[in-house]
Amino acid sequence: MKGEQKEDRKIGGWSVYREMLGRYVLPQKRLLGWLAALLLLSIGLQLVNPQIIRYFIDTAQGDGELTALYWAAGFFILFSLVQQGVSVAAAYFSENLGWSTTNRLRAELAEHCLALDMGFHKTQTSGSLIERVDGDVNALANFFSSFIIHLAGNLVLMVGILALLFRENVWIGLVMTAFVIGAVYVIQWIRRFAVPVWKRWREMNAEFYGFIGEHLEGTEDTRANGAAGYVMNRFYELTRRMLPVRVRAFFGFCMMWSTTILVFALGNAAAFLVCAWLWEGGQGALTIGSIYLVFYYTEQLAKPIEKIRTQLEDLQKADASLLRVRELLATQPKIQDGPGAELPAGPLSVEFHDMEFAYEEGGRNTLHRLQLKLEPGQTLGLLGRTGSGKTTLARLLLRFYDPQAGGIRLGGVDLRELKLHELRRKVALVTQNIEILEGSVRDNLTLFDDSIPDARIAEVLRELGLGAWHDSLPDGLDTVLASGGGSLSAGEAQLLAFARVFLTDPGLVILDEASSRLDPLTETRIEQAITRLLQEKTCIIIAHRLATVQRADHILILEHGRVLESGGREQLASDPDSRFSRMLAVGMEEVLA
Amino acid sequence: MKTRQFFISIIRYRPGLYALNLIAWSLIHMAPLVPGLLTKAFFDDLEGSYDFPYGIAAIAALLVAAALGRIALIYVGFLTDVNVRYRVSMLLRRNMLAHVLKEPGARAIPVSPGEAISNFRDDVDHTEEAFSWSVDMLGLVGFVVVASWILLSIDAQMTVLVFVPLILVVTAAQIGTARIQKYRAASREATAKVTGAISEMFSNVQAIQVAGAEKRVVGRFVQLSEKRRETMVKDKLMTEALSSVFANSVNLGTGLILLLAGYKMRAGGFTVGDLALFVYYLTFVTQLIGNVGNFMTYYKQMAVSFGRIKSMLQGAPAQLLTKPAYIGLGRRKPRRGGQSEEARSTQAAPAGAASPADAGQPAESPVDDGFPPPVAAPPLQMLEARGLTYRFPETGRGIEGIDLTLRAGSFTVVTGMIGSGKTTLVRTLLGLLPAEAGEIRWNGELVERPADFFVPPQSAYTAQIPRLYSDRLRNNILLGQPERPGSVEGALHAAVMEEDIGGLEQGLDTMVGPRGVKLSGGQAQRTAAARMLVRDAQLYVFDDLSSALDVETERRLWERLFRQRGDAACLVVSHRKAALAHADHIIVLHGGRIEAEGSAEELLRTSESFRQLWHGEETG
Repeated sequence: MKGEQKEDRKIGGWSVYREMLGRYVLPQKRLLGWLAALLLLSIGLQLVNPQIIRYFIDTAQGDGELTALYWAAGFFILFSLVQQGVSVAAAYFSENLGWSTTNRLRAELAEHCLALDMGFHKTQTSGSLIERVDGDVNALANFFSSFIIHLAGNLVLMVGILALLFRENVWIGLVMTAFVIGAVYVIQWIRRFAVPVWKRWREMNAEFYGFIGEHLEGTEDTRANGAAGYVMNRFYELTRRMLPVRVRAFFGFCMMWSTTILVFALGNAAAFLVCAWLWEGGQGALTIGSIYLVFYYTEQLAKPIEKIRTQLEDLQKADASLLRVRELLATQPKIQDGPGAELPAGPLSVEFHDMEFAYEEGGRNTLHRLQLKLEPGQTLGLLGRTGSGKTTLARLLLRFYDPQAGGIRLGGVDLRELKLHELRRKVALVTQNIEILEGSVRDNLTLFDDSIPDARIAEVLRELGLGAWHDSLPDGLDTVLASGGGSLSAGEAQLLAFARVFLTDPGLVILDEASSRLDPLTETRIEQAITRLLQEKTCIIIAHRLATVQRADHILILEHGRVLESGGREQLASDPDSRFSRMLAVGMEEVLA
Repeated sequence: MKTRQFFISIIRYRPGLYALNLIAWSLIHMAPLVPGLLTKAFFDDLEGSYDFPYGIAAIAALLVAAALGRIALIYVGFLTDVNVRYRVSMLLRRNMLAHVLKEPGARAIPVSPGEAISNFRDDVDHTEEAFSWSVDMLGLVGFVVVASWILLSIDAQMTVLVFVPLILVVTAAQIGTARIQKYRAASREATAKVTGAISEMFSNVQAIQVAGAEKRVVGRFVQLSEKRRETMVKDKLMTEALSSVFANSVNLGTGLILLLAGYKMRAGGFTVGDLALFVYYLTFVTQLIGNVGNFMTYYKQMAVSFGRIKSMLQGAPAQLLTKPAYIGLGRRKPRRGGQSEEARSTQAAPAGAASPADAGQPAESPVDDGFPPPVAAPPLQMLEARGLTYRFPETGRGIEGIDLTLRAGSFTVVTGMIGSGKTTLVRTLLGLLPAEAGEIRWNGELVERPADFFVPPQSAYTAQIPRLYSDRLRNNILLGQPERPGSVEGALHAAVMEEDIGGLEQGLDTMVGPRGVKLSGGQAQRTAAARMLVRDAQLYVFDDLSSALDVETERRLWERLFRQRGDAACLVVSHRKAALAHADHIIVLHGGRIEAEGSAEELLRTSESFRQLWHGEETG
């Protein structure tokens, strides 16, 4: 199975299309049925109309009734009108098909990306993910909505025309069949040149919009440090790199179009020559009306071949996107879901044994031989300078990464045995990052969990001293917050992030510098709320301020990823040689300064 | 600015290239006149009503030759088209970006970044499409004129009877397009919501994963996508109904020709060749009219997009969108001696002449960056703000009537509870938020435009939540400022970052990842501090610089800064004792107003709020 996947990723091609169409388009049976019916009707009408013209010309040349000519013209117009209705209806169905299918793909991609680990997200700007989840899928819309239908329909139309040409004369049929085969072959051949360029163009686009997005977010820093010139220079560099790719991508189109023009000129010329030869070879073998019919059908052949060409052109664009979509779907998170062991209820014990961790395989270790045991309900104060590995430890507990050696047990269960969902339901993390989504206050607090009653939310906000803020919201919990918090101050945003945890029922709470943006007064005020939160819960407090770890039972000091000191808080505090008590002294000095 | 004026002004951006493109596409569209005549000659020759001098084989050969000629034109057309459209769309994007970078930094865009990306991507794409389709119009007219002349000379009555209804159809369709705009606006809106949702989703991916909210977030995304499908299908239905009118009018026209030709052919005045020519030209006329339809659709679409782009400009004149500027291609015409802006700004102290007059001389340098030339003010003695006011329009909260004095070499700390307006105060002072009232004076001189004034070499700033960009660490610090020997190292040392650099595998050349995620929170904050300190400024503004720093690092940072800042004034937002202890002046904010100010000692004596803020830390 795996080998097979690798195989067709390499060749791209039909197996990929089959897989994607089978997965997204074929299940839409009803829409496909409607489309097929409309298409057959339209093909029938297109095949009949030239026959009417032939009848018309031959009758006009001969001496039949004049009214027959009017009837013929009348039918021609009627059929044209019907066809118009059919084509609008077909467009409606095919657009619906396109959006239903691509929306499914978008949702799957979004879900897939959300499941990927930070290793992936660290390399992607959100702008470039917009390109990958939306831009690339947009390029597939046509492939999904009309590719099969138009390809099949136009093939039928082409065969129908050829059959009718054979009916006129074997020679004409043979020449035109040879022409069609040649045309399709040449167009297919040309197509091969342009695909890699389109892929490149899509990649450049993702990079470009990633750049734009990043700088739309960073205007404050850019502006106040006079760095607009730097941003513009990066913009210029990108435009310089993008133009040649764009030109080459366009030339792919150009080549396709000009090839079709040439092929059709050749087809027309061939039809002329054969008809003239038959006409002169024996009067009566062909009427002038039949020759016009041949001419008309030849011109009409342009349509299916042209359609097939544009479909293939779209496919060419889709190809590039398909490859990128598949690549994205094939990106597996390094963290795989466990088999699903159960976590005990209530507070959870935490145990690290001989754990080694490096962010990059073979790179420098961020954490070395870490040993730690924390009983259920205990509170650990984790201290250390910035970059000493404290936050990494928190990330490991939520399985954003797996350690290279040793392991982590939670409530006696190895993390790798757990379903991620279960793990993250039981372990809550509050970070110093401000992560406010554009959306209502309620959605920001519950993260779209509808089962949490508003009263509970209001209660939590009051507990955290945000009662007045809550009362001032113009639309209550429906008030929309801007992306990144908007008019919320960073401290208020941090309190909101805090509130999220209060609304869940975890067995382990990790506070990673969670109060760093709060002023001391606010911090004091939420003390009680935190005490209530931590009741009956195991807790790890990551802090750079000593005051924050006053409630800890246990202290762990990290330096360069190694345990510098570990022990009971009171015991360490009373030992004048301990690092912790020296830090306390420095902290005191700071207070006295 | 109206859509039409906007459209004309983008055409005027590269008139030469546009004209070339126009000529190429006009010829491409007129080229099918030739094969039509050859077809007529073929049928007439067979029928015997006309004898083509070189035989049927020659007709076939000419047909192929005409195709080759058209192909040659198409190559030229594609080349000019891709070049001109790329330049136009990149000019628009460049000017949009440049404008965003000129707006007050904390309110640079009125929507979320994800939605603004959709302005940059889709709205500009639509404009580009309309622009590119506009060149097809002249060819259409040319084709119609020549074809009419040929057809009129064959049969005037029939030409009129067939082509007049066609024109009516087009007119009817044009009226129809008025409706499209409404649907188009709705579908664009829905699209922006979807891209916004994606951006939000991935900007906050960690919060979502931590909360295990993936399924629910995707659920909301699916709802928005569904909404988009509905609006898109409506939009498409309208567009398709119109374009099918264009496409099928060829069949209707052929029917009309048949109705009229029957009796004429009987009478002998109308040959099969004539019929073939009429039908052939009809095909192309309707195809080209279809192009008009396309153009009209794209034009309407552009009108919608233009409206959306305008709203992103937050009231700035739309003329700036199409102002010619360097876009990274071709030779750059430097405004001044080839130096980058930063290089100049640091050396420009004596150049008091670097006034707006410099930028206003298009004769000498028609292409410049469009950024106001850096101001180089005299050395800071005293900075005063009086009655500074800014309130957030959504909530009415903010700051009101703030008075503030900063002297050279002073160290001022702004403190207060969360939500008391500390960040708003420094942002308003620096022009990152537009002040509603109040004035700022630099050595007594009124500062007219704080946003343009408070940049290096006057001031530098570290935001509360600093943004790093996907680039090397070194470039994130310099942000385009030319590196002098030791300047980066010096800034890193002052920011207490030097030891961390050793811990990074590629040192200063480490790619920090989007938003600097590859650095720890404290490292990112100190990188931002280094970014500020590498700029020689007379006023350093730190917003809560130390929130992610441990006590030891923070202490060293304040010490180094205190030693090395020289005569520069420091304005610091903090509630940390390490900062408060260094301050020679402290401002306590409450509810957007100054509640108390003075030295720490005085405030501990006189201000209850300050005592609470100060002691809160101990009791915690």
